[in-house]
Amino acid sequence: MRGSSAGEGVLGAALLQWLDVLAMHGVFTTDDDHVIRSWNRWLATNTGYDSRDVIGRSVFDALPDLESRGFREYFDAALRGQTTVLAHGLHRYVIPVAGADGLSMRQSGSIGPLTVGDDIVGAICVIEDVTERLLSERELRAQIEASDRARALAEEAVRARDEFLTTLSHEIRTPLNAVLGWTRILLARPAGAEMLARALEVIDRNALAQVRLIDDLLDTARIISGKLRLDAQPVDLSRAVLAAIDVVQPTAAAKDVTVQYESGTEPRTMRGDPDRLQQIVWNLLANAVKFTPPGGQVTVSIAQSATELTLTVADNGEGIAPEFLPLVFERFRQADPSATRRHSGLGIGLSLVRQLVELHGGRIAVASDFGAGSVFTVTFPARPEFAEDFASVAEASSELAGLRVLVVDDAAEGREMLTIALEQHGARVTAVASASEALAVLDGTPRLELPHAIVADVREAGDAALALGPALGRRTAARGGAIPCVGVTAFDSPQVKRRLLAAGFHAHLVKPLLPATMAAVVRSLVRSD
Amino acid sequence: MELTALQQDALIELLSIGFGRAAASLSQLTGHRVVLEVPQVSVHPIATLDSALRSLVSDEVASVHQIFSGPVAGDALLILDYKAAGMLKELLTDEAPLPLPLDASAREVLTEVGNILLNACLGTFGNLLQVQVSFSVPQLNLDSLSEILRSLMVNREGLRYGLVVHAGFRLRDAEVTGYLVIVLSVASLDRLIRSVEAWEQGQS
Repeated sequence: MRGSSAGEGVLGAALLQWLDVLAMHGVFTTDDDHVIRSWNRWLATNTGYDSRDVIGRSVFDALPDLESRGFREYFDAALRGQTTVLAHGLHRYVIPVAGADGLSMRQSGSIGPLTVGDDIVGAICVIEDVTERLLSERELRAQIEASDRARALAEEAVRARDEFLTTLSHEIRTPLNAVLGWTRILLARPAGAEMLARALEVIDRNALAQVRLIDDLLDTARIISGKLRLDAQPVDLSRAVLAAIDVVQPTAAAKDVTVQYESGTEPRTMRGDPDRLQQIVWNLLANAVKFTPPGGQVTVSIAQSATELTLTVADNGEGIAPEFLPLVFERFRQADPSATRRHSGLGIGLSLVRQLVELHGGRIAVASDFGAGSVFTVTFPARPEFAEDFASVAEASSELAGLRVLVVDDAAEGREMLTIALEQHGARVTAVASASEALAVLDGTPRLELPHAIVADVREAGDAALALGPALGRRTAARGGAIPCVGVTAFDSPQVKRRLLAAGFHAHLVKPLLPATMAAVVRSLVRSD
Repeated sequence: MELTALQQDALIELLSIGFGRAAASLSQLTGHRVVLEVPQVSVHPIATLDSALRSLVSDEVASVHQIFSGPVAGDALLILDYKAAGMLKELLTDEAPLPLPLDASAREVLTEVGNILLNACLGTFGNLLQVQVSFSVPQLNLDSLSEILRSLMVNREGLRYGLVVHAGFRLRDAEVTGYLVIVLSVASLDRLIRSVEAWEQGQS
């Protein structure tokens, strides 16, 4: 018994020494009068209070902060046998200590009874520095928040994409339904002239809408993948505007919306891609027509300063809600994405416009009076010095009266379409199926009756029709060597265009062809010739 | 063993005093008004405690456990399911716990909340019985309910009954419900209930 109790005494003393010298926690004890009886080295090192200054003093005298924060209750409770947990989250610290970063050391701890047998002889307070733990918790919290944010963004992107796909399928089906519906009607029974005209008008309008939709989609994809390139050249913005008005006119007329151009026909020149400029204007016009009720008006104008061209498209339609105004140029955004929305569209037109405008070094802005209309303003850098390259648009008549045109297309339907389109504009057309036939026609024609222009369908690089260019180039003017030649392709890319021009063609047109555009191009080639 | 309506009322009244004390401490600590209610008390044989609690909380729970000893001895637990534990921590400290399921800081705060509540209730019982009750240091466990109850039965053979007290925390327009479970021997429970009855009679 004696040995054992002596052993306990030794171990007890060893434990006390360990607590005093080695413990990684702050430990101090008080007696049943709250007088501090021990103060370990951790506390002396970390709190700035030396054991000589606190031992023998009442804990509330040595550390008045504890009294003012109501800790007396916990020391009293300890003397009644209760343990009190001091969570950092609720107390912040036990003993105030300025940490290295100037903030107080974050602590948690506990105050509990010290007992000998059944007797409570005092209290023990244990303090832990949790600064590191809190920092790592904070870091973890920040990481979780960042990943939550990333997930929310990804989910938003998925949602926008799903919405877009739904809209897309709707937008693709609607014009197709109109086209299919009318072709079925026409195929089922003989149609009168009036019905035929109506059917063709609807089919034409919807097919055109489909073409624009696909163009916009492809361009959006090109922009997203960074593959959209401008084929920049001197260009007359007035022409792009007039061409776009031509395109949108049938839709506007069908809706009884007037499209008015207010700025005359003199050249407004800049550097740009004519097709893209037309796309910009067309999208703005189509958008304006869409949101303008029957009887309304869309006004287009171009203003010119020394350095800038400003294109304005104004409508007196329903306007844009103020909360949506900042979002109009965002891709896939629509003011009303619901399935029951009144207006069709993919929500890519205006975002595409902005991208194309910016590619041209320009900028776009919108102002709207909700309920009273919107004004889109596009500003491009002007290049007035190009003006002499362009005659006024008014002179660039699409009237082909008196001109002889040779059409080359190996597809009978295409040949017929080209022939009719050119004839509508007054041309006299000879149509053949191949380049060799075309050359034979030229051979058999007296010089004064040679065609004024040739329009040839070129399907691909290896097409025999492509040989027409070099073949003409080898001829004298008397045998047709000087006749301007327009190449028509189904592909729209700068490479195709370059290949055509390199082969000796003078202009490039892309299918689907608008007769007015083709006529204007032919006319301009003949005149400049 | 079932409590009579009178015993139940008396226990609720007595526990409300302890809860009131705990609520005052929590209000003071957090700066928010905390109200703690005892809407219901019931006694269950330890064998059916599991099924009684299972209808109240999901299986994974946070429990603050304190052993108390003296003339009345047993185990006291505050049981919260994870969701309630997380909510309570956030309401008290203005900071949501990390989903770990509970980070160290959250565990610490819940330990203190459990400690305050258990001390207040058992302290009230001690005063009533006029005996000194000693408490162990509270411990927070994250475990399944059945595992917690199993370890109680394994460690303490004399325990027969569980007093289940619904603890409704109301603060900042929100409500969180936890459950105080006090597991006692037959003798301790008997003694407690008799004292409660005597106290009730003294009151009226």
